[in-house]
Amino acid sequence: MSAPLLSLENVGHAFGGFTVLREVALDVPKGEIVGLIGPNGSGKTTLFNIISGYVRHRSGRIVYDGVEMRNQTIQQRSYAGMVRTFQTPMVFEKMTVLENVMVGCNKITSSGMVEGLLSLPRARKEAKAMREQAEMYCEKFSLSSVAHQLAHNLSAGQRRILEIARAVVGKPNLLLLDEPSSGLNPDEIDELDRSIRALNDAGLTILLVSHDMDLMSVARRVHVLYFGRIIASGSMEEIQANPEVREAYFGS
Amino acid sequence: MATRSIVILVIIAAIALAVPPFLPRSVVDLLVFSCIYSIAGLGVGLLLGQCGIANLGQSVFYALGAYATAYMTVTLGVGAAWGFLTGVILSGLIALVIGWPVLRLTGHFLALATLALGIVANALFYEWDWLTHGSLGFGGIPKLNIFGLVIDTPLRFYYLAGAVLALCLLASANLIGSRTGLMLRAMRDAPEAAKSLGINAQWLRTRIFILSAIFGSIAGSLFAHYGSFVNVQSFGIEKAIAFLIIPVLGGATSLPGVVIGALFTTLVPEMLTRFGDLHQVLFGLTLMATVVLMPSGLMGGLASLSRYMTARGRA
Repeated sequence: MSAPLLSLENVGHAFGGFTVLREVALDVPKGEIVGLIGPNGSGKTTLFNIISGYVRHRSGRIVYDGVEMRNQTIQQRSYAGMVRTFQTPMVFEKMTVLENVMVGCNKITSSGMVEGLLSLPRARKEAKAMREQAEMYCEKFSLSSVAHQLAHNLSAGQRRILEIARAVVGKPNLLLLDEPSSGLNPDEIDELDRSIRALNDAGLTILLVSHDMDLMSVARRVHVLYFGRIIASGSMEEIQANPEVREAYFGS
Repeated sequence: MATRSIVILVIIAAIALAVPPFLPRSVVDLLVFSCIYSIAGLGVGLLLGQCGIANLGQSVFYALGAYATAYMTVTLGVGAAWGFLTGVILSGLIALVIGWPVLRLTGHFLALATLALGIVANALFYEWDWLTHGSLGFGGIPKLNIFGLVIDTPLRFYYLAGAVLALCLLASANLIGSRTGLMLRAMRDAPEAAKSLGINAQWLRTRIFILSAIFGSIAGSLFAHYGSFVNVQSFGIEKAIAFLIIPVLGGATSLPGVVIGALFTTLVPEMLTRFGDLHQVLFGLTLMATVVLMPSGLMGGLASLSRYMTARGRA
């Protein structure tokens, strides 16, 4: 196994005096899907916010692609290839679905304001390339039929899919998915399952946070977070057989 | 659809070019002000419609442009181009220095900060009368002379200001359709998600603030040349509010809306003057009625009307 793409070493965090994460250590190897489960309030979202840069951790190290991330801003982490989705999908409401996906091309384009104002060749070329790329991804994620609608009009399921399409159009190395199946109907979950596997087959590394045990089967390795501590790690079968996990998580 | 927009645009341009020579001088005068205010309002409109920022400080940059022109052409006696250039550079720099820290704020706090900027700057314009000549003002600002053609009638000035406005509108339309325009709207709709896609919100907002200030300054320089006189009363808070009303009234996300908003704020008060002292109250009421009845501005109102007509036509 090669060096992990993302490695958490003894990450700890507290809000005020309340400890939410203690000495969390986990690796996300390149090209794999890693799952993170845990009951509400176990610290999953905080851990996610720490990895993506929305919250700065108190102790420990987060090493991504060989670089310590502590002082890197959200944007720097994004440019380094890390991109996330949100527990409550955050789409650009007053923009069309196609435009939403075009925004995802931000990192693979670079023309600036003055070029835009004067409509210089590079700005025009990039705008065209962004549109083509976005159209391709709308097609890939079955969003073509709604491409020219405002994102505001999408169903909960379509919003999740749009967030993922928008995240991956910019060619990230690590996709962080926060509860991607919540609010989806069974058909949509199947679709999501297929999308995640397809993205992974194409070489994308994924860290998946979810309640959904069925969806978790896409992950080769799963970590269980319980009151800010990782209490078990392994394949989904091992996790489900672990007595401590059954006690803590499944309540039996 | 695109062809229809082009046809409408051509018709409007033809009217804007062909009709004013037959209008009375006083109306052409109002049209000149509509053009000038449209340019300043366009800057505010870009901030409001594309970034969701309410700017109550545009009068500052309008004043900077006007004073730069007055100082360069009267005190130093150099060509008009230097006035425009100095105003644009000064406004851009000040917008950068003020925008960088202030644009960290959001919502009402940011609107209040820009209001404070307007108030402080106005007080400074009063105090620094060695530079601004305070309330006495600067007189004798020369008429513009473009390759030998002296812009000395309202009609000539109208064509000049209209051309400048058209260029500013064209540049803004380009910007909105470009990568930068997309990122702006993304940031406006969901700033947290935009960050995750690598968008640097603060720097992007600062750049649009600078652009807005530059539009304000160009408008101010034009104003100084047109009236050939500027004094501090022209740059009060009422002016800043007027520049914000223009895009709000017209429809903040719409570029033509800015022009319509500017026409409204210059023509309607004039039409109401026949009612004597009551005209300001009437203007206030008209304004309120418009905003209440057409929350997405006059352009939004027109769009709903045209949808309604099409629907009725089909039925």
